[in-house]
Amino acid sequence: MSDPRARLTLGIAAIALALYAVFFAGDYALHVLTRAGIYAIAAIGYQLIFGRLGALSLAQGCFFGLGAYAAGLGALELGLGFPLTLAVGILLPSLLAALIAIPVLRLASHYFALATLGIAQLALLVATNWTAVTGGANGLYGVPPIDIGSVSFGHGLPLTLLVWACVGLALTLSHRMTAGKRGLAVETLREAPLAAAALGVDGAAIRFRFFVASAALGGLAGALQAHAIGVVSPDVLQFHVLVLILAMTVIGGRASPLGAVLGALLLVHLPEWFRDFADYYLVVYGAALLAAIIFLPRGLAGLFGKSKMPPVETADAEAPRDPAPLTLSVETVSKRFGGVTALDGTSLTLAPGEILGLIGPNGSGKTTLVNLLSGIEKPDGGRILLGDADITGKPPEHIARAGLCRSFQHPQIAPDLTVLETVEAIATKGESAQARVIEAGLSTHANERAGTLPPADLKHLEIARALATGASILALDEPAAGMNEVERAALATLLKRLADAGHGILLIDHAMDFLLPLADRVICLSAGRVVAEGSPHEVARDPAAINAYFGESPL
Amino acid sequence: MSAIALTQILLNGLALGAAYALIALGFVIVLNAAGAVNFAQGELVMAGGFAAIALAPLIGEATALPGLLLLPLVMGLMGLIGAGFAWIAYFPVRKRHQVAVFVSTIAAGLVLQHLANAVFGAAPRAGPPLISGNGLTVGALSISLQQVAVMVCAAVLISGTGLFLGRTQTGRQMRAVAQDPEMAAAIGIRPKRMITLSFALAIALAGAAGLLLSNQFFVSPNDGGLFMLKAYIAVTIGGWGRLDGAVIGALLIGIFETLVAALASYLVAEALLYAVLLVMLVFRPSGLLPERARARV
Repeated sequence: MSDPRARLTLGIAAIALALYAVFFAGDYALHVLTRAGIYAIAAIGYQLIFGRLGALSLAQGCFFGLGAYAAGLGALELGLGFPLTLAVGILLPSLLAALIAIPVLRLASHYFALATLGIAQLALLVATNWTAVTGGANGLYGVPPIDIGSVSFGHGLPLTLLVWACVGLALTLSHRMTAGKRGLAVETLREAPLAAAALGVDGAAIRFRFFVASAALGGLAGALQAHAIGVVSPDVLQFHVLVLILAMTVIGGRASPLGAVLGALLLVHLPEWFRDFADYYLVVYGAALLAAIIFLPRGLAGLFGKSKMPPVETADAEAPRDPAPLTLSVETVSKRFGGVTALDGTSLTLAPGEILGLIGPNGSGKTTLVNLLSGIEKPDGGRILLGDADITGKPPEHIARAGLCRSFQHPQIAPDLTVLETVEAIATKGESAQARVIEAGLSTHANERAGTLPPADLKHLEIARALATGASILALDEPAAGMNEVERAALATLLKRLADAGHGILLIDHAMDFLLPLADRVICLSAGRVVAEGSPHEVARDPAAINAYFGESPL
Repeated sequence: MSAIALTQILLNGLALGAAYALIALGFVIVLNAAGAVNFAQGELVMAGGFAAIALAPLIGEATALPGLLLLPLVMGLMGLIGAGFAWIAYFPVRKRHQVAVFVSTIAAGLVLQHLANAVFGAAPRAGPPLISGNGLTVGALSISLQQVAVMVCAAVLISGTGLFLGRTQTGRQMRAVAQDPEMAAAIGIRPKRMITLSFALAIALAGAAGLLLSNQFFVSPNDGGLFMLKAYIAVTIGGWGRLDGAVIGALLIGIFETLVAALASYLVAEALLYAVLLVMLVFRPSGLLPERARARV
């Protein structure tokens, strides 16, 4: 939303909507517009967790309903006035979300959906049956209209304007959470969660924040609804509320907050326009949702296209920073999977500026070692030191920030981000994404979508991204796999230059004509044990290495 | 509680669980074939119930086995619907994020629900019994003929499905595609055909469950969500992706519900089921039994 064209569109749309509301809309039209605004707030919230993070929460309707009940009970039972009822309406669902976040957010997607649905069902059962407090199936009546001081916002234009002011607030909050670099990190987290963690993105914290924010906005919408219509019944907790919010988000566009507003305006007005269809309207509504998910993967907002980033200037980019000199020491680490010993007391050191080749047959533990180094798996024994810091068993994002970064055998990227955005998403303070893109030889592709890059460029992109975390040590898992001679040579040049700048590089590869000339030292693993270690020449002639891996000496 | 009463409850629970088992079995078959949850599974059960009601006049009132005669008809019809369902709600979004399949099946379920509402109305309706006639009484234990027929039908369908998937060439091909569609295609199996077949089988089973439940428990257009939830929970209890686990999970849920409903109330049974599920997910975040569904990276 930072580019001028999008701002202009937004401004014109807001003014047009305001003009319509003030001059043209009758009482009923205002009522419909108010309802659209309320749902837009819930949809903007839902977009954070579902659209941005791709987590199918089925509790957004529940948060909406809880907000309505909290505001209604606050007004009727506790005698709270308007701004306070809104506060409890936001607070109760936020508290619930914070409470369930820790166990629920770590679940795989299909269990996350089920768990949030289970919570929503429980809330519905409580609201329907705890008659003494909630009024049971009849619900709460006579929630007072909104008054601020002596000014009444009970209905008509004042209420519509108040609700849409809240929509503006919700948009601002959503913008602050997803604009710029933060949004790029969130995109990386959704599309490549493993890589995001290995690059220092604290996924758990982001998920928590977004889940609670989605609940807060859902609750705000529910609280406004309670005041706007004066009644709260268990209907607000039914599954169809969630489906409506979901439909708004999908039809409007899951990545654009304005899409959510558009979706809400459309879906609240649609039944008014299609009244003649009577019962079949809802069939059309389901079909529209189905059509939207099939034909408009980016929703209505996707029709407007994405704004272009300015091209990268290569001339005035600063030189990349040199890394802090760190030594990696692995001391007798071991790892077992069930009965299989993947690593058995492996030790190695990697000095600053050194390229250490790691070879061995498939299943010898090379990738397991990288997984242990980067924190994706926890070792069963031994220690891993980065400089003086003990990083044994630390989470991936901690290790990445401590200065060790990895690449993956199969590149893990967010396909819709451009090359520059991909690097910018995780660049730490003081790092220039541009400089890293140029360093990795990708400046001509800087504004292309990462998903369109050929495999060799993707490997370079992963390296650029790892460097942008400020990492001193790189662990590269088969970076040259699938490359031709020319591409390998380019990669070798890049790695050599990085080593000269002071990076320690742990390099796994099966292509000996690529690895042996490049490595300063080589370690050969077999069945989780180091069987040979030394200069490339020594290892290539080592009987143990020949026996375990080469078959015959490659020299 | 007397032994007789307990036996009675177990019997009722088993009959309910048997019908749930068909739903859960279909849920897992789609899960394995498509790698995604079919949120419309419950609505398809409901559709099976209404299909039975709509087709009942074809059989006529005179016969003694209205439901049993309808069963193949309903399953055939639902199988066709299932194949169509795969092409409308699954294949167009197949290559996208898993969540896209969730949403497209939610949408398809919505269409079915509101279509049933518009055509049949919102009031619950009773479907045809499998066998007309009264039950028998063994001592103080009353066994309704309908209940026995439900259990026998479900048992036959479940073992039939097991044999089909385990012993026939087509069944093996379907499992191959479920495990690894690229590999299966590489050895000459057509993944699309097998996936379509999986949807057809799964949804025929859902339809059968709809018919089996429609007499004792009635059907209404808004029932779908609950059926889907039961299947979802059964599969979670039984181990994500396991056919045997789904059946066991569904039987457990049926017995649990009937037992708690008898001891306390249906409301408590419902709430306790969700609470148990949530507690289970907190302590065993990867499910109760080992998963078998392939990971989609």
